[in-house]
Amino acid sequence: MNSWLLIGPVLLLLVVLLFVVYAIFFERKVIGWAQNRIGPNRVGYWGLLQTVADVLKLLFKEDVIPNKSDELLFRIAPIIAFVPSFAVLAVIPFSDSIRFSDFAIGLLYYMALSSITIIGILIGGWSSNNKYSLMGGMRSAAQMISYEIPLVMSVVGIVLSVGSLNLTEIVEAQKDVWFIVPQFVGFVVFLIAAISELNRCPFDLPEAESELVAGYHVEYSGFRFAFFMLTEYVYMFAMAALTTVLYLGGWNAPFGLTFIPPIIWFVLKFLLIVFFLFWLRATMPRLRADQLMQFSWKVLLPIALLNILLTCVLKEVPVIGAYF
Amino acid sequence: MSINSEFIAFFILSVMAIGGAVFMINFTRVIHMALALAFTFLSIAGIYLQLHAEFLAVIQILIYTGAISILMLFGIMLTKNHEELKSSIAPWHAVLSFVGVAAFFGVLMWIIYQTPVISEPSDGEGWTILQLGERVFTEYVIPFELASILLLVALVGAVVLAKKEEK
Repeated sequence: MNSWLLIGPVLLLLVVLLFVVYAIFFERKVIGWAQNRIGPNRVGYWGLLQTVADVLKLLFKEDVIPNKSDELLFRIAPIIAFVPSFAVLAVIPFSDSIRFSDFAIGLLYYMALSSITIIGILIGGWSSNNKYSLMGGMRSAAQMISYEIPLVMSVVGIVLSVGSLNLTEIVEAQKDVWFIVPQFVGFVVFLIAAISELNRCPFDLPEAESELVAGYHVEYSGFRFAFFMLTEYVYMFAMAALTTVLYLGGWNAPFGLTFIPPIIWFVLKFLLIVFFLFWLRATMPRLRADQLMQFSWKVLLPIALLNILLTCVLKEVPVIGAYF
Repeated sequence: MSINSEFIAFFILSVMAIGGAVFMINFTRVIHMALALAFTFLSIAGIYLQLHAEFLAVIQILIYTGAISILMLFGIMLTKNHEELKSSIAPWHAVLSFVGVAAFFGVLMWIIYQTPVISEPSDGEGWTILQLGERVFTEYVIPFELASILLLVALVGAVVLAKKEEK
């Protein structure tokens, strides 16, 4: 057995954890700058250890389990939510040599596993036996299910162009033109649906502080709460990586700048998406629940279907067809 | 029968699937039942994966574990259902059920052993998703379209029913 098979995932987990720690830190910094504040700057040089201190605090906190909760479900809900978020990273190719599995249907695998997390969130909200967390869990599940449909539909355009569901082959098909150009409509739909899947602003209704206290994890404290937060940020990692792979050409270098190693290109594009998410959170107000649902079913889904039709038609046109 | 990794994986997955089903019947709270069912669905996806039916396995997770289980959980949570189900089955009823189920199992096994295997078992390893798509959209296009029309009718029916209740 290849020893990399054992060490690789552990290394990836460490990278992901490091990313989560500094993603939270930079999220607070960027939002601070956007709102003309300094952001965290007390713990460590330039505030660099702020998140580390926060995580340590969560680790030392008491793990409170409410008296009238469904104890077993309350305990396992964060695990059900977290495990798929890390498992989806298995199919993402980070560069032509750094990847874990070359699954023939990697794209579908991602979509399928990420839907299991919804069960964890729903169960977490329900088992707390608290009306706010139940409402938050319900909202979250309803939102994630309805936005999963435009999300899957928007990538069908890419699947049609490449003729494969394998993420490595999708990246290799983008050697000349990234899919963000021919599949721009699909990209916009995908990005909006992805932000909504991540439960991030402007679609962060499940966690609307002003209405629901904190959403499905109201009753959670200590390490279990940290697990839910970790799930969210690992999904951010996964979704940013998936967007890079699908639309921004993965590890392919733009303008023939191949002297910079592929993994650096991947990281740069990946960080661009992550920064975009922070930027959006600092800029946009929150949508209303009914607007959110209508937007998904009446705007995004028809556009995604139109994109599929457009891709099919343009594929047959002589000159442009080469790009589809 | 030799014990290799495939056999161990199959053993674990089948125990998980059967265990989930047994728990589903034995739990008293409806939410626990739905979760046990979701667990069974997930284990069955693992068995599909072992048979080199990757596409089927992923779809099983997407549709059954993802969509249908969540739909059930939603339905249970939206309807007030906090009281536990009390088993009020008379003992003779249990015996009768057992006899019925055993007879059904016997018939099923008899049919399975009587049915001749028509074609050679195909090699699943070289079977790609591309071939699957080609087969579905050429040889089996009419059943495929019929199934999609059926689903569309169900969808429209659901919308009509929901509209009626609104009035």
